[in-house]
Amino acid sequence: MLLTPNAMSPRLRWGLYSVTGLIALFLLLPIVFIVLLSFGSSQWLVFPPPGWTLKWYQQFFNNPEWMAAAFASLKVAVLTTIFAVALGLPTAFALVRGRFPGRDMLYGIFTLPMIVPLVIIAVAVYALFLKLGYTGTLFSFVVSHVIVALPFTIISIINSLKLFDQSIEDAAVICGASRIQAVFKVTFPGIRPGMVAGALFAFLVSWDEVVLSVMMASPNLQTLPVKMWTTLRQDLTPVIAVASTLLIALSVLVMFIAATLRRRNEARMPS
Amino acid sequence: MAGQVKMTAIASRQSKPVGGAPSTAGTAPAQVVTIKQTVVLSQRWKGSRNLFPALIFLGLFFFAPLIGLLLRGVLEPTPGLGNYEQLFANSAYARVLFNTFSVAGLVTLFSLLLGFPLAWAITLVPRGWGRWMLNIVLLSMWTSLLARTYSWLVLLQASGVINKTLMAMGIIDQPLEMVHNLTGVVIGMSYIMIPFIVLPLQATMAAIDPMVLQAGSICGASPWTNFFKVFLPLCRSGLFSGGLMVFVMSLGYYVTPALLGGAQDMMLPEFIVQQVQSFLNWGLASAAAALLIAITLVLFYFYLKLQPESPVGANNTR
Repeated sequence: MLLTPNAMSPRLRWGLYSVTGLIALFLLLPIVFIVLLSFGSSQWLVFPPPGWTLKWYQQFFNNPEWMAAAFASLKVAVLTTIFAVALGLPTAFALVRGRFPGRDMLYGIFTLPMIVPLVIIAVAVYALFLKLGYTGTLFSFVVSHVIVALPFTIISIINSLKLFDQSIEDAAVICGASRIQAVFKVTFPGIRPGMVAGALFAFLVSWDEVVLSVMMASPNLQTLPVKMWTTLRQDLTPVIAVASTLLIALSVLVMFIAATLRRRNEARMPS
Repeated sequence: MAGQVKMTAIASRQSKPVGGAPSTAGTAPAQVVTIKQTVVLSQRWKGSRNLFPALIFLGLFFFAPLIGLLLRGVLEPTPGLGNYEQLFANSAYARVLFNTFSVAGLVTLFSLLLGFPLAWAITLVPRGWGRWMLNIVLLSMWTSLLARTYSWLVLLQASGVINKTLMAMGIIDQPLEMVHNLTGVVIGMSYIMIPFIVLPLQATMAAIDPMVLQAGSICGASPWTNFFKVFLPLCRSGLFSGGLMVFVMSLGYYVTPALLGGAQDMMLPEFIVQQVQSFLNWGLASAAAALLIAITLVLFYFYLKLQPESPVGANNTR
């Protein structure tokens, strides 16, 4: 009876619970720590901080380089999201609706960017853009991010589309809608959870992407993680803690949106 | 493959069909069914046209550069297998390979040891608590990798909190060197990989029927026997697929080893970047990349063997 806590001996049970509590704390430790440090007044990241301050936030928001990096991150992430969904949507339709041979293999091909180590994708794409002279451009950032974001959107949309009964779309066609109209007015609203989830994944992947961005970056164009990366190599200034806190905040926000949408979606559907 | 676990976290909980599908599917008028069949027939190959945008995109920007990179390994500086010979013959490079595999092995071991009790506890505790613990796991997985690595850098440094606490407790006399060496890499990466163990393992454990364990104890098994002979074997598929995935991911990780590791003991991904950026030795970098891809794909093949169902097959709506 190891799957019901009451049947365990008390010693085993409390042993397991305390070990688990410690591991959960271990998981939270670096996240909480960095957020606290960003408000600490010590230049040398002493912990616990001698006092609390917002001066690192002021430094961050008054520094044009950090602001430019944050803005570039946002721009790249939004463009990546748009392109990843635009490319992922038809692909998911073909993979779910199509009955042609080799779909499993094609699925494998489309998810390959998830499996090949990022470093290798980064070096390969860097070599290509070096030849074309595109390194350090917005184009190179967006293209490289779309490569790794695409599997996330494709899989999310496939998951939704598999649950959507095509006969509803066909019913709309019988009732006089054109196939395009039916897809846009009936199917897309039906698979919206998958599309939104795919978009959120693509955004998060791009927002936090380091390896590809470091290879693509130039002094003129760098995203927030690249700016953090280059600064980190010089010193551990608390301003990086501010940037980390902002990255964490946005990830938490996106996760929260995803969870809320999912809950609302589940509530709306009759069981 | 990290992504697949990351996704199960948020996306695939929509187990209920959208739009009341099951009721309509069964009772749809015959007319609709026949029309649907003809439509589907005519669409059989037409649908594949939708693949082109993404195929062209990946072909141009993913497969072509990848093949180009792999070709450089046998073409530069002179055609032949010279780069590969160098990779295995040079003792400094052999050291890189050794580091890569030993770090990946240790990280897999530690994250399994830490992930197992967590997954077990999530299965055991009442639902509300379990959900909170899963949320902690998801939070740590989805918050910025760079931010967490930076945090470890600060925590582990000589004047960091961990060293100070240990010294205040009198356990050590002088700061331990836990950063800019392989110790730092193993600590940071084990931390990062825990969620990738917990999520598949927890799913496996949740699927175990408690009755089986009850049967074990009724038949006279002591809790220890029950754990090792019944429970652990039932968790095996989760342990294997989680562990294999963490091992493969660890082989290809760049950010954490580059920041927490030292200049002396590199891992394969850092080695590849260094050859490209500092030495412009594309041939050797490409040979190392080919090796890394080959290992990754072989291990991923075994990982897929452990997954029972086809991802796009029609009859697996869970």
